[in-house]
Amino acid sequence: MSARAATHFEDLERQEQAARLGMWVFLASEILFFAGLFALYFAYRNEHPRGFDLGIARNTIAWGSVNTAVLLVSSYTVALAVHELRRGKRAAAAWLVGATVALGACFLAVKTGEYLEHFHEGIYPAGAGAFFAENDEPGIKMFFTLYFCMTGLHAIHVIVGMGVLATLLVRVLRGSIVPAASYPLAIGAVYWHLVDVIWIFLWPLFYLTPGGVR
Amino acid sequence: MSGAGTTAAAKEAAGGKTTGAKETSAVSLASTLVALLALAGLSLALRYAHLGAFGLPVAMIIAAAKAVLVAVFFMEILVERVTVRLAMSTGIVLVGILLALIAADILTRETPPLSNPPGTEPRDRG
Repeated sequence: MSARAATHFEDLERQEQAARLGMWVFLASEILFFAGLFALYFAYRNEHPRGFDLGIARNTIAWGSVNTAVLLVSSYTVALAVHELRRGKRAAAAWLVGATVALGACFLAVKTGEYLEHFHEGIYPAGAGAFFAENDEPGIKMFFTLYFCMTGLHAIHVIVGMGVLATLLVRVLRGSIVPAASYPLAIGAVYWHLVDVIWIFLWPLFYLTPGGVR
Repeated sequence: MSGAGTTAAAKEAAGGKTTGAKETSAVSLASTLVALLALAGLSLALRYAHLGAFGLPVAMIIAAAKAVLVAVFFMEILVERVTVRLAMSTGIVLVGILLALIAADILTRETPPLSNPPGTEPRDRG
């Protein structure tokens, strides 16, 4: 099956460049979107270091670390899928994209488990729940609101990424994405990598960096 | 690392038509994963080193290094055209301005927030 450009593009190369630029402009807007939340985190952490320390101590380092490893490996598998497809190995690419989607599901399963654990402890978004009645350290409500907001938005991005990759997997299997024009998979992969990059910053902020406030 | 290189197979597969022919080699991809996992391990180990106030900046520097590795070797940002790099650079510069101005505000406040702002005293006193 040969790749053909849409009628409004002069050739396949221009179509690919337009698609790539569109995705990167979207990713830049995504970075700005998350940057506002990161800025909020740093501002409130500066104001309430002790509340944030206590919040970080409530999160389970092991689960956060497992999810970090899962997303790093998933970034590798999707990058390798693009590499294999360019070399004409469609079956290998399909398996690797499938593995990436499965790893995304693992990430979500762990995250869901963590949320359920927090709910069980009486920790809900917006400072709701019995936990905050017993732990009224200033800033701890803000910590967990930011935690649910930032990790929840990230989880939505993971779900969207899984949907995008699953669609691309079907297209690879059907042969509508071919090695001669593999860029749709490469562009979908770039989105998945951004999801990984956001988690790379969320992990230390919510699991690893108590400020050592006495 | 000299990861980015054009392979003959990629050129052949691309048929010389698409611009995505320059790609990171399989060895570079695997090396990147190993480096990312090693940096994640370092972050985790430093969690137990009790760095105190230095813990956050050190963790952010390691995270930034990981983000650069992902952007260069997995996202192949360096082989993208200048328009793409310009779009991403604009986003990063704007984030820098946002964070710098917010930091300038909160780090230079001279008076701490009042613990009992005027008008919040209990009314039934006395």
